[in-house]
Amino acid sequence: MNKDCDKHYFKKPEFYRLTGGNNYVRIDAEDKVTGHGKYVGDIMFPDMLTGRMVRSPYAYARIKSIDTSEAEKLPGVKCILTAKDFEWKSKVGNGEFAAEFADKDVLCSDLVKQVGDDIAAVAAIDEETAQRAVDLIKVEYEVLEGVFDPFKAMEDDAPEIQWEGKGIHNIGMKSIMKAGTDIDEEFKNAAYVQHRNYKTHRMVHAAMEPHGAVATYRNGEYTIWMSTQMAYVDQFWYARCLGVPEKCVRVIKPLVGGGFGGKLDSYSFGLCAAKMAELTGRPVRMILTREEVFQTTRNRHPIYMHIDTAFAADGKLLAKKCYHVLDGGPYGGSGVAACAQSTLWANFPYKINSVDFLAHRVYTNNPSSGAMRGYTACQVHYAHDLNMQYAADQLGIDPVEFRKISAADPGYVAPAGLSITSCAYKETLDTAAREIGWYERKGKMKKGEGIGFAGTGFVSGTGFAVLEAPNQSSACVQCRLNKRGMVTLYIGSHDIGQGSDTVMTAIVAEELGLQMSDVKTFMSDTFLTPWDSGSYGSRVTFLAGNAARRAAVDAKRQLFEVIAPMWGVMPTTLECLEGKVISKENAELQMSMADAMFKYMTVKGGDELVGVGSFYHRTDDSQYNGVNTTNYAPAYSFSTGAVHLTLDEETGVLDIDEFVFAHDCGRALNRRAVEGQLEGSIAMGLGYAVYEHNVTKEGKILNPNFRDYRLPTALDMPKMRTFYDFTPDEEGPLGAKEAGEGSAAPVAPAIANAVNMATGIYLTELPLDPEHLWRAMHGLKDDRIPNHMPEDDAERERYMHPDD
Amino acid sequence: MSKRVLSFTLNGDPTEVIVKDNMTLLDLLRDKLGLTGTKKGCEQGECGACTVMLDGKPVNSCCTLAVECEGREVVTIEGIAKGGKLHPIQRQFIEKWALQCGYCTPGMIMSAKALLDVNPHPTELEIREAIEGNLCRCTGYAKIVEAIQAAAAEMNWEEGKA
Repeated sequence: MNKDCDKHYFKKPEFYRLTGGNNYVRIDAEDKVTGHGKYVGDIMFPDMLTGRMVRSPYAYARIKSIDTSEAEKLPGVKCILTAKDFEWKSKVGNGEFAAEFADKDVLCSDLVKQVGDDIAAVAAIDEETAQRAVDLIKVEYEVLEGVFDPFKAMEDDAPEIQWEGKGIHNIGMKSIMKAGTDIDEEFKNAAYVQHRNYKTHRMVHAAMEPHGAVATYRNGEYTIWMSTQMAYVDQFWYARCLGVPEKCVRVIKPLVGGGFGGKLDSYSFGLCAAKMAELTGRPVRMILTREEVFQTTRNRHPIYMHIDTAFAADGKLLAKKCYHVLDGGPYGGSGVAACAQSTLWANFPYKINSVDFLAHRVYTNNPSSGAMRGYTACQVHYAHDLNMQYAADQLGIDPVEFRKISAADPGYVAPAGLSITSCAYKETLDTAAREIGWYERKGKMKKGEGIGFAGTGFVSGTGFAVLEAPNQSSACVQCRLNKRGMVTLYIGSHDIGQGSDTVMTAIVAEELGLQMSDVKTFMSDTFLTPWDSGSYGSRVTFLAGNAARRAAVDAKRQLFEVIAPMWGVMPTTLECLEGKVISKENAELQMSMADAMFKYMTVKGGDELVGVGSFYHRTDDSQYNGVNTTNYAPAYSFSTGAVHLTLDEETGVLDIDEFVFAHDCGRALNRRAVEGQLEGSIAMGLGYAVYEHNVTKEGKILNPNFRDYRLPTALDMPKMRTFYDFTPDEEGPLGAKEAGEGSAAPVAPAIANAVNMATGIYLTELPLDPEHLWRAMHGLKDDRIPNHMPEDDAERERYMHPDD
Repeated sequence: MSKRVLSFTLNGDPTEVIVKDNMTLLDLLRDKLGLTGTKKGCEQGECGACTVMLDGKPVNSCCTLAVECEGREVVTIEGIAKGGKLHPIQRQFIEKWALQCGYCTPGMIMSAKALLDVNPHPTELEIREAIEGNLCRCTGYAKIVEAIQAAAAEMNWEEGKA
């Protein structure tokens, strides 16, 4: 139904009773505070086996032999899998549309391409036995020389990590975005031009719940409880790799303990659990250790960036060229889309005449990179906002005023086709500047003290231009009303902790004028609930929220078409409010929902009422037109972060005392939920900027634990204040846009800009840990991760266009 | 691995169970006794998701051997609601949206309870210190601190009433 749905029946804001305030709690809250809620690791069966994976200690090696004989003899070992057990030979990837580009073996039989690569799996009666069996499996390797720097990987003499012989120079994905006026003219005529390099580091999602799967095989069907952000996509890959039709694969998402993009890939361990459940006839549980989560799931892409920017004398942004090199690790998966997304963010949140962007996602033998909160928005906005700050200072313009000069406006259509609806970016800048006390403190700060701003934009409800077909990108919802006026709601979307199940329930209750307790919600089960492509790209509130609203409105319309003639009025003059169907024109005409449903079923010969709704972002295939000009999302969100800090010049330690965050999320559907998302974004952004760094050596993460990889604690958090009351979005569900993903992006650049104000140093890299800042203050390079992005144009050109 | 009979008090109930000497309290609770409210996040004593109370003190149950609990009193998240009524900390976590994914929540609540049991009027800093060993990736901790403050106020009010 999508956008053609009859909007006459949409409830008007004056009749909203539920959404907007703090007056409803999460539907899963009690289960979570009592410990009764079930995450995948909490699902138990009496005869359940424990699974463990056998993994490569090397980043790049040829497997010479695998000897499982000793392990097989160990009492209590029930099953050992190697590559030969996946005779279907399908590889694993991400997204149905890209099935032909899948590049990961379920289990490796020839080459291992990263530390922790999957070689074999074991199921045994308990964890101890399973681990002993893993230790008894002997794998002989011929260790090969891997490649750990994406620039070296693009050289002609580098090993070809994937698609050997195809001459791709390890460029697994190439994205171009080119649009607008003649860019050479823009640069020629510009008053000010700058050329700068940037680099970001590697981090992990570190969801508190480790990844896991529990699988059973009964009646010829696999049932897999999975910690996932995309049960339906898992179903596709599991069926494909197990060599069965999708009707034989049921994926159920139980409670998920955080995702942040890390649970957006189909992993081998889940497939192995399913296969071993089949071969043993017993349920198999496979939960990764924290070290495995670090090393073998996905990381945030390190990105190397070069940016050329042209400005007019008054500070107006004219044109931008950039080249992004993403360190992808050896596999594509969710990381493939990151490449195109990195060019998308380079547009935001500014107006511009001309863009010419190129991004390469390069295969290396580092840990695999993938989606992570913002896809690549955190990395790209870090570089591109620091780039704006540098320009502001060179042109001598106030940082807030400078950003406002080119700030996107409502209704702006970017040369690259991005079509902005609501936009309060300028208001977020003003709010952040006011609340951090910029105008009072400006010019009066002591040495080592600084205020920094950063402005960013993000998609809201992405359709991912690559998913041009609605059957690959939609969110679907069904809403059933029974004769008691009670609703059973079936939603495909995936609540991974953000609270979307609660929001969907609230939207339906709101439209139908019911209490949330009248709505019983079932979610994310591929045999029970309708299709949804997953929790990513800030799809859920916008797409699934609109789908939920449409399902409720579809039910409402059908009900009104039965009730209205009884009252002799038009159906569109009715509304559902406070448990009743009412006439908006005649206060005497009203009846309870239960009575209305009783009448409906009487008229309809006993039928219950079913409303269906779906929503997807209508885009087109112009991502494939060679210059990638398309509208990625139905709406966009905008943020400004502002931070006040002092830097200890002796140690390089930052004391961040306040973070102000202004986020244009349209209309907040629950104020506490939005605040929680923004505060959580600040925490994760702070971790990214200051505390967290995956240190790798030849592809091995040296700090795969929370002792050496430091997440921010309750004592590390600064005072936070969030502001989010801006303009409702016309297309958003009840006016809402995204609030939890793009919001992570401004944190790191705001901190770097504040350090700049405190020290005069222009930072270009991450992380901003004490070592990095101390070195920067002493004019020393931080050579922990060398940046091989060439400064020289001709040298860079060699990587940008290797075949020319 | 040798085994022994372990006798201890679990959520107020006398409990006897045969355990291997190398079994952690966390695995005992989850895999043997089916109390899965206590979560496993890192198994290295760093994330705090497995926090329970041992003789009134918060401990990481992943780093506590089951046999260390002989004759002692263990309280888990399943043991703090009384007579079908949630503990004030649980109620305030719900009310204040002090949870998102919820995976750290049971451990966080146990750390908070251990604090409020001995310090009914904690400062914000004392609250933050008490939950410093409980990592939360979702919330940024602000609403958690707020919920614990509100729970302290509620408990003090109830105390005063009694």
